[in-house]
Amino acid sequence: MSQDHARAERLIAQERVEGLSAADQQWLRQHLSECAGCAARAGATEQAIRSLRGLSIALPPALASRTQFRVRIRAEQLRSEPRWRAVWAACGISWAFGAVTAPYVWRWLEWAGHRLGVPNIIWELGFGLWWALPAAVVALILLITDAGRGSRSDWNRQEN
Amino acid sequence: MPTPLAAPASLLFSTLMADDKKSLALGLRRRDPELLDRLIEQYQYRLFRYLLYVTGNRERAEDFFQETWIRVLERGHQYDGKSKFEAWLFSIARHLVIDWQRQKKAQSLDALTNPEEGAPMEFAGDDPSPLHLLLTQESEGTVHASLGELPAIYREVLLLRFQEELGLAEISIVLGAPISTVKSRLYRGLEDLRVLLAGESA
Repeated sequence: MSQDHARAERLIAQERVEGLSAADQQWLRQHLSECAGCAARAGATEQAIRSLRGLSIALPPALASRTQFRVRIRAEQLRSEPRWRAVWAACGISWAFGAVTAPYVWRWLEWAGHRLGVPNIIWELGFGLWWALPAAVVALILLITDAGRGSRSDWNRQEN
Repeated sequence: MPTPLAAPASLLFSTLMADDKKSLALGLRRRDPELLDRLIEQYQYRLFRYLLYVTGNRERAEDFFQETWIRVLERGHQYDGKSKFEAWLFSIARHLVIDWQRQKKAQSLDALTNPEEGAPMEFAGDDPSPLHLLLTQESEGTVHASLGELPAIYREVLLLRFQEELGLAEISIVLGAPISTVKSRLYRGLEDLRVLLAGESA
């Protein structure tokens, strides 16, 4: 008989945790209808689960909207990150290319300058400009991006 | 024994569910802002409740809540659409809590994931227990108090199973533990809760 109680105890929990086979379910129903102690235990277990399901909490005010706002800002950052990577990669490549080709460019400009009869200062300035061009392009990108960010900040302020 | 109509109906339902999960995975991969807004609204109560019960602190739960959704945004491509979204969501939240706890207590990962082998894991380790304080403040009777007395590992699985209605396999995804571990924690937690409630009401 005590083996029956032990089995019933096991099945009461098992029914809630992982479910029972039809045969076990039938046996348990039969046992519970005959054993007041096990029926009380089954009732208490059921009550514990019902109580757990009935628990409620209060949400902090505007939790969802505040989170949505943060997520959108982060999404905006993530969207701009690859563009920045591309800009820095372009700068790196441009610098490496410039360093490798500088002697050849210098010689070519020197040759072209003499052939066209322009003063040395002119083709030397041309060489300087050739070196400064990538930096000028990056500065332009930065200026455009800053302008865009400024207008987005205005939008953020309006949202707040 | 399913009726002749039940099988196609359930098949259709599971196909629809699978399609939903796939479109969800696609939207997360694209970082669709409307989809994220909708998910935040839809899961705010369940996620916050889970975090509140595992951390025992409203402010911290709120921080983790926001951080969880940032992670969802950043790592949306990791959701494969095969498992339930909420299981993936809760596992992200849980990892954040564990990382925070690890920093706080400098415990090893093994101690956190195999609590049966050592001291039981407590997500909230302040003294007195913040959960206890919270539950005292927001007393909803003996259930809250009894739940607060349970070790966090048992409290967590009980909440996932009986409040979130997650299946055993889904809980095992959240916990990153085998189903056998989930079951043993559920049996132990349910028994402890029953005893605690019986003691409170006696």
